[in-house]
Amino acid sequence: MSDAATKSDAAMKPGWTPRSAWAGILSEGSFGAKGPAGVTATAREGLGIASLIVAEGGDAALAKAMKARFGLALPSTPQAAISAGRALVWAGPGQWLFIAGDRGGFADDLQALSGLAAIADQSDGRAVLTLSGDKIRAALAKGCMIDLHPSAFSVGSSALTSIAHIGVHLWRAEDGPNGAVFEFMVARSMAGSFWSWFSASAAEFGCQVTIPRACRVGRG
Amino acid sequence: MRIPCPHCGARDAQEFTYLGDANPKRPDGMEATEAAMFDYVYQRDNPAGRFRELWYHGAGCHAWLVVTRDTKTHAIEAAEPAKPTKAGAAA
Ligand SMILES: [Zn+2]
Repeated sequence: MSDAATKSDAAMKPGWTPRSAWAGILSEGSFGAKGPAGVTATAREGLGIASLIVAEGGDAALAKAMKARFGLALPSTPQAAISAGRALVWAGPGQWLFIAGDRGGFADDLQALSGLAAIADQSDGRAVLTLSGDKIRAALAKGCMIDLHPSAFSVGSSALTSIAHIGVHLWRAEDGPNGAVFEFMVARSMAGSFWSWFSASAAEFGCQVTIPRACRVGRG
Repeated sequence: MRIPCPHCGARDAQEFTYLGDANPKRPDGMEATEAAMFDYVYQRDNPAGRFRELWYHGAGCHAWLVVTRDTKTHAIEAAEPAKPTKAGAAA
């Protein structure tokens, strides 16, 4: 093969650039009512996400491994166990989502759990937003059927539900500087539809959107 | 109508899909008469009152439930996981 032919093959290879699930959907800055933002939305990017499903009676072995390796207690009710850098969120009987703050070592984590559950990497298949602010509950109440009042939905609570006909997995993380913090996860292909609902619901309270630096890669 | 999912708590009926009667049990296909199989596949009671029925919590925990409901009042007496009893598993 000639040198020229090799070069032209290389030139024709498509470039594969990682693209944020929120690329082209979120714009950094504020929208809606002026003044202090009642609601904040922060894009999550680079998470390692895997679904875990155990066979009948497989909970105990998985629970033991989760405790030993990550110090996480396997929830058997709609709860999220959260430690520094990792989370384990109930996703139905015998099912969980395992989430790592970044993908460094994520493949090793999954390897360590292999044989204990049916594991599927969902990292690029889901889109996650961190939602907070004084008015976040009022904004979410426009479409979320889950009672998010602190007496009903404490830190570590989670739920699977439907908002505007979109399947949503949500959980409450530790409180932050703007009060209660909710993580909202949707299928990546539904990110635009979810944002369409959420941005319309949040606008009257004023919404501040933050896109972390790592998340800006491949935007547009 | 809200269904008290044993896994998720009380949820609006729109999160669920209805299947129907939870009582029919599939006969052994090698042994059953044609009439018994016909009954299982096609014949359904339609009671006015207490009814055990299958609901799927598709927008929630993805579990099948057996819901005991009064078809006249929609009052729900019980909602249990279908899996342990295998009630209507082959329906
Ligand atoms: Zn449920």
